[in-house]
Amino acid sequence: MIKLESVSKTYKGEVSALEDASADIAKGEFVFLVGPSGSGKSTLIRLLNKSETPTSGTIYVAGKDIGELSSWKVPFLRRNIGCVFQDFKLLNSRTVYENVAFALEVIGRPKHVIETQVPAILELVGLAKKTDNMPHELSGGEQQRVSIARAFVNRPLILLADEPTGNLDPNTSVGIMRLLDRINRTGTTVVMATHDRAIVDTMRRRVIELDHGRIIRDQARGVYE
Amino acid sequence: MAIKLDYVARETAHSLRRNFTLSIASMVTVAVSLALVGSAFVVRAAVQHSTARWTGDVQFIVFMKPDASEAQIGAVRNALDPAKNNQVAKVVFFDKARAYKEFREVFRDDPVLLSTSRQSDMPTSFRVKPAIKNAELINQMGQQLKQAPGVYTVEFAYDTVKQIERVSKLVSTVILATALFLLAAAGLLILNSIRMAMFARRREIEVMKLVGATNWFIRVPFMFEGLIQGLVGALPASVAVWFLGTRINHSGGTRSSVAILQGLYVSSGEVWAVIFAMIVIGCLVGVIGSAVAVTRFLDV
Ligand SMILES: Nc1ncnc2c1ncn2[C@@H]1O[C@H](COP(=O)(O)OP(=O)(O)O)[C@@H](O)[C@H]1O
Ligand SMILES: [Mg+2]
Repeated sequence: MIKLESVSKTYKGEVSALEDASADIAKGEFVFLVGPSGSGKSTLIRLLNKSETPTSGTIYVAGKDIGELSSWKVPFLRRNIGCVFQDFKLLNSRTVYENVAFALEVIGRPKHVIETQVPAILELVGLAKKTDNMPHELSGGEQQRVSIARAFVNRPLILLADEPTGNLDPNTSVGIMRLLDRINRTGTTVVMATHDRAIVDTMRRRVIELDHGRIIRDQARGVYE
Repeated sequence: MAIKLDYVARETAHSLRRNFTLSIASMVTVAVSLALVGSAFVVRAAVQHSTARWTGDVQFIVFMKPDASEAQIGAVRNALDPAKNNQVAKVVFFDKARAYKEFREVFRDDPVLLSTSRQSDMPTSFRVKPAIKNAELINQMGQQLKQAPGVYTVEFAYDTVKQIERVSKLVSTVILATALFLLAAAGLLILNSIRMAMFARRREIEVMKLVGATNWFIRVPFMFEGLIQGLVGALPASVAVWFLGTRINHSGGTRSSVAILQGLYVSSGEVWAVIFAMIVIGCLVGVIGSAVAVTRFLDV
C-alpha cells in the first residue's frame, strides 16, 4: 500500500529531516512511527500525502509513484488518505456535523450521500449525541473523534495520524486508540506517529523508529524501547 | 466538476461581509476609474459628432439656398470641379436627400425639430477640400463663392474646429491615462482584499486541501468574489456615465443645419456601448486581480 525507496528530505537551510528511508507497508497494516521530537516523523507523514515532496527517493502509494503525479491529481490522491493531527484542525465556527460534512461537501459529494454518511460516521466515533455542538463545547478527546470522523468519512484506504494523542490525557488516549484500532480492522492502513510509550507498548504493532531522520528499527509487534 | 452554485454564493457573500472595508475600497476605486474611462469616451464621441461635418480636411462648406435652381447649383459645381479648378482637391455634393439623412442622424434625439423639418427644407451643400494650404487664399475662394447666385452662405472650418478636436483628444487621453492608473490600483486593491479573504479562511483552505478538494473548487469562490467587486464597482460608474450622456444631450448649443459646430450629443447606442465596455472591464479587473491572488498565494 505504501512503499518508500531511499527517501530523503532536506528542507531549505540544509536541515536534513529524513535520510535514506526505505520501508514497505502492506494494506491493512497498523504502523507506529516513533522517535524523539525532531526525528522526522511529521516529515514522513507529510511526504505520504504529498504536502511535501522528497529531495530524493521514490514513494509509492497504492502502487503509484506519487512523485509522478501531476499537481491537479494530488487532490484525488488525498481523497484516499485521511489525516488526523495533534491539534485536530477543526473549523471553530461550524458544528460537529458541519465539520464532518464539510469534508464531503468540498469534494463534491451529493447531498443525499452527505446526509447518510455523516450521521453514520458520527455514530461510529461515538458522537451521535453531539452532532449540533460546536467544537469548543467538546472535550479534547471528543474533538479528536470529530477529526477522525472527518478523516474517515470518505472511507480512505490509508489513515495518517500525527501524534493524535499528543494533547490528550492517558485515559482519553486509550479511547482514541480503540477507535483507530477499529478503523484499522475495517482494512484501512493506519500510520501513526507518536512518542507515547504506553500506547505503543500496549498495542504491540509494527514499530518503525526514527532517529535524526534515519530509520534505526523496523520491528513487527514491537515496543517503544 | 461539481462546484455547487449555492456553495459559491454562500461563501462569497460571507467573505464580502467579513472583508467589508477593503471590499468597499476596491469597489469605489473600480467605480471611479471606470467612470473616468466612460466619461472620456462619451465626451470624445460627443465632440466627434459636433465636428462631424469637418472630417477629411473639409475646409469650407458652400450651403445653397433651399430654393436654388438647378442652373445655380450647376454653376457652383462647375466652379468647384477639381478637374477645372486646381485650387480644389476634392468636393462632395450633399443633395437634399443626403442632407436630410445627416440632419436626422444629428438630431435624432430632438423629435420636435425632426417633426417640423422636411426634406425639401434642407439646404444642399458642397463640402470642399482645397488643394492649397494658404488660409488667406482659401478664404478668398470661399468669399468669392458667397457672391454667387443661389448661395445661402459659406462656412469655414475656422481653426477652432481643429482646436476643439485637439483639446478634446488631449483631455480624453489624459483622463484615460489617469483612469488606467486607477484601474491598476483597483486591480491591486482587489488582489489584496482577496488575499485577506484567503487569510481569513486559511483554516478552511487547509482542511479543504487535506481532504482533497480540487484547486478550482478552492479558487472559484475567491475569483467569484473578485468578479463581484469589479461588477459592483462598474454599476455606479455606469449610472454616472448614463447621466453624463443625458446631460450632454440637454446641454443645448447650436441646432442648425448650416452651423459650423453642432450642439454636443451622443446617441443612446453609443452610451450603452460604453457602459457595456465598462462592465466588461470591471469584471475583467476583478477576475484578473483575484486570479493573480489565488495563483500566487494559494499554493495548492
Ligand atoms: N517546514 C520545515 N522547514 C524547515 N525545517 C523543518 C520543517 N519541518 C520540519 N523541519 C525540521 O526537520 C526536522 C524533522 O522535523 P519533524 O519531521 O517535524 O520531526 P518530528 O515530527 O519527529 O518531531 C527537524 O529538525 C525540524 O526542525
Ligand atoms: Mg512532529
